[in-house]
Amino acid sequence: MSGISVGIRPLDLSVNGGIHRVYVGLDVSEADTLAQVLRERLGLTGLKEVCDHGACGACTVIMDGRAVLSCMVLAVEAEGHEVLTIEGLPEDDPVVAAFAEQSEPGHGTALQCGYCTPGFVMAAHALLARNPDPTLSEVKEALAGNLCRCGCYQAIGRAVLRAAAVMRERGR
Amino acid sequence: MPGPFAPREARRYVGTYRPRIDGREKAAGRAEYLDDIALGIRYPGMLHAKILRSPYPHARIKKLDVSRAEALPGVHCVLTYADSEVAALKPTTSSWTSANTASYDKMYYPNLRDRKVLADYATWAGDKFGVAVAAESEETAAQALRLLDIEWEVKPFALSASDALAEGAPLLHAEINPEGNTLPCEPIGGPECYIDKGDVGAGFAEADLTFEVSARYHRANHSVLDTRGCFCYWRNGQLVFYTNYYQADQTRMYLAQMLDMPLNRVRVINPYLGAQFGRCNAGEQPFFVTMALLSKRTGRPVKYKMSLEEDFHDTRNAIDYVLRIGAKKDGTITSAHFTALGDAGGYSDHSMAAVKIVVKWDCVEALLAHIPHLRMESWAVYTNKIPGNCMRAIGNIQLNLVFGLALDELAERLGLDPLDVAVKNVSHEWEQAPNESLAAVLSEGARLIGWERRTAPGGGPLLDGSKRRGLGFSCHNCWHAGWQEQIRGEIQTTVKLNPDGSVILQAPMAEIGVGSNSCVVMACAESLAFLGVTLEDIHWIEKPDTESGLKDMVQTDSSVSYLQAELMPLVAAELSARVRTKAAPLLEVAAEELSIEEGRVFVTASPERCRSVREVLWDDYLVPVTVTVCKNAPEMVTGIPFEATFAEVEVDTATGKVDIVKLAVIHDAGTVMFASGAEAQQVGGQCTGVGEALYEEIVYDSATGIPLNFNWVDYTIPSILDFPEVEPSLLEVWRGAGEYGACGIGEGAPTATPRAILNAIHNAIGVRINDIPVRPEKVLDALARKEQGLPGRDEELTAEAKRVIEAASCVAKACTVTNASLEEAHEVPAGPDDSTSEVGEVEL
Repeated sequence: MSGISVGIRPLDLSVNGGIHRVYVGLDVSEADTLAQVLRERLGLTGLKEVCDHGACGACTVIMDGRAVLSCMVLAVEAEGHEVLTIEGLPEDDPVVAAFAEQSEPGHGTALQCGYCTPGFVMAAHALLARNPDPTLSEVKEALAGNLCRCGCYQAIGRAVLRAAAVMRERGR
Repeated sequence: MPGPFAPREARRYVGTYRPRIDGREKAAGRAEYLDDIALGIRYPGMLHAKILRSPYPHARIKKLDVSRAEALPGVHCVLTYADSEVAALKPTTSSWTSANTASYDKMYYPNLRDRKVLADYATWAGDKFGVAVAAESEETAAQALRLLDIEWEVKPFALSASDALAEGAPLLHAEINPEGNTLPCEPIGGPECYIDKGDVGAGFAEADLTFEVSARYHRANHSVLDTRGCFCYWRNGQLVFYTNYYQADQTRMYLAQMLDMPLNRVRVINPYLGAQFGRCNAGEQPFFVTMALLSKRTGRPVKYKMSLEEDFHDTRNAIDYVLRIGAKKDGTITSAHFTALGDAGGYSDHSMAAVKIVVKWDCVEALLAHIPHLRMESWAVYTNKIPGNCMRAIGNIQLNLVFGLALDELAERLGLDPLDVAVKNVSHEWEQAPNESLAAVLSEGARLIGWERRTAPGGGPLLDGSKRRGLGFSCHNCWHAGWQEQIRGEIQTTVKLNPDGSVILQAPMAEIGVGSNSCVVMACAESLAFLGVTLEDIHWIEKPDTESGLKDMVQTDSSVSYLQAELMPLVAAELSARVRTKAAPLLEVAAEELSIEEGRVFVTASPERCRSVREVLWDDYLVPVTVTVCKNAPEMVTGIPFEATFAEVEVDTATGKVDIVKLAVIHDAGTVMFASGAEAQQVGGQCTGVGEALYEEIVYDSATGIPLNFNWVDYTIPSILDFPEVEPSLLEVWRGAGEYGACGIGEGAPTATPRAILNAIHNAIGVRINDIPVRPEKVLDALARKEQGLPGRDEELTAEAKRVIEAASCVAKACTVTNASLEEAHEVPAGPDDSTSEVGEVEL
């Protein structure tokens, strides 16, 4: 670690299966949130920073299998944990596909402007990992912390149920 | 399970249910928004900006010392109102226009230029003014603002219209009106009494009954996730400017005119927008100019992205309406007199549009045309609150809150069905009542909600010991049809047919979520199917960029989708001619003797002599066939279709809580362009409609004038748990001009919802609450008043609103500028088009 002055220390973040080293005191600070470091240092811009007070869910990522609001987690707190962002999902991810394709009559599409969507997708993933066959009200309960001002909630509920069915089918 | 709509004419793509074209990239988090582009790792050296926000509702900076801020490590520039390049800037508004491009001298409200770039005074707590800082991080910029040494002149403030109209009230904008806080009349809205048809007095005299109702709409916030911002840098003397507003061409004009630059030295780009709901119809933001100056001074890219708290920047227009209405026993309205007072907040912005202009443009001829005696009078007043600017369904939603009440009340007083009263009275100016579109919309709504179950007010069964259910509806005209969009001038599009048959479509429009990108791609595929082009062959250029040379279509009035689609048949005709010309030598006939179908060019007289379109295009030169089409919206006046919301609510009389059991939302779209997208607007719009009716409200501390809830914990927008069941229904009854003859429905989707919910609440519990949001305490108060035999909340509201409107009328009358400004010529700084224009000449 020669060449690094006193007070600067490495921070290894495990994100999407890889280790990303940043330096506290140099390119990130102790006060930086996980959301800031993921977006601004690692360029993982799928998650969005919006309210910065845990009210909207747009910055949702998965940490050790649980959905967390990355604006409410300090980057230094994420050390030693496995972080999954939307960029870490496979190309054929069933939740992404369900949100993208939702278009059946009567409900509209599961996204419009798309700003909240990565947060919803990750929150839905965390739900389906622990409850592969949720009811609509369980879906709503799990997504209650995510806001969609375009009002796509009705279609989002349908998309999550559809993704769950696809995932159960694949798991079989 | 709702059924799909049945198209009047089945087409290959247009009118179908299908995924959005951008669904995959958005769902996978790959769509790029402003915040994803303006990153230090993409633009090394990028600075972050912050603007001072007023801690007082009304204040001026007497003395400023920036030395401690400038000395803070990491600070690159502190720009203030005293700097010469700021002080030299013209006064402006943040509302030069709506859908068209407007220069400084052609802005909508030339006598309401009450905004300055970094003014030395603030008119509301939170107002961004005075000083801007560019620094290496947001935290450093914020810290620099805290190090400013400011000597304040803290002024008295007026939070309510009533206080602002009182004698001795502090003057907010003496430069606009030195004698009072009322806004002077401006050229488009016209005089305060802006409609005076027939003789309302005589109309009331011939009525069998007359009564007064009132409604109060609050300053709801857009609460968009993609908070306002911009990002800019200078390169070779050109200003490159990204915004998450939706008026690329207008922003270019704004910056060029404010900074006195040629148009080709400003380049504006709009990436994907994380929604907007009308807030971008105020694309002349003084902070744009501030950021351009900061970037110029520092020679660095500068990013300004508001925090959520800062993004409580402007709101819906708060308006009180009082409506006196007279009718015959059969429900025919003989006379109506609307009076309205808009609480503008700290700046005028689009307040005049909300209280007058859009009502005149959208409602008078479409909704109120068959009322023989009609008078409409409006005022607006400055107060020291967050300003009302532009928001989805501007002006219309406030008018609907009172007109929908009048229809419901009239029916109740006469013992009629309010649906019949609506059909009897409402139709477009060029059509008679009963209006076929309205009748179809209302009958569909009645079917979906089960209207036959509706009881007398408060007459339903008691559920769970304290709950009662009720049904209500409200209706409105849709907007806009093609003929109402002449204001835009030419609509422009370029289509490039590549040598391999693939297509690049440049139909510039900011993608804000409404799906007009999917719609224009579907329409392009529809028109180019004869060339063998499919949906998958078309690449849509996502970012409007003024370098393209095409004017972007401003995402307002819900007309972008179908007006761009209307150009596609012209593109197809031109491409057909060009491809046939290319094929003629190959098939050894004249181009006129060739036809093209299903991707094959053939000799019309002997179809076996043919080539595939792709063979023809893949010639020796491999130059794409490029077609640019520019055309105005269709001129033919075709009237307008209608929309309605039907609501079933359940009110808990013990707690005052209102639950929405179901909403049915019905639109006659003329022609449905993209069924899944249209239903997404119908359903999604209810997030605004329900939120504004029941939950959302900005709260002020009356003692300090400080807003208390500029966040989403206390300003509560609906979550998935609050969102009711919404059943959308699309109809095609009316038809406009052109290939498709569609009408906008997206902007208007929430318009009738607050009133439908309020009428349903009245139907459930037999009391009227006309001041939204209907929080539980208002329900309990209204019920308690009824039980104690006290005057209702509605009666009290009417008395109060009349008092304040009367006060506004008196103050305005006493002000010499009020109507004088309508005739007066205004001093206009020299500009490139001075010779061709005059103030007040704005084309409507």
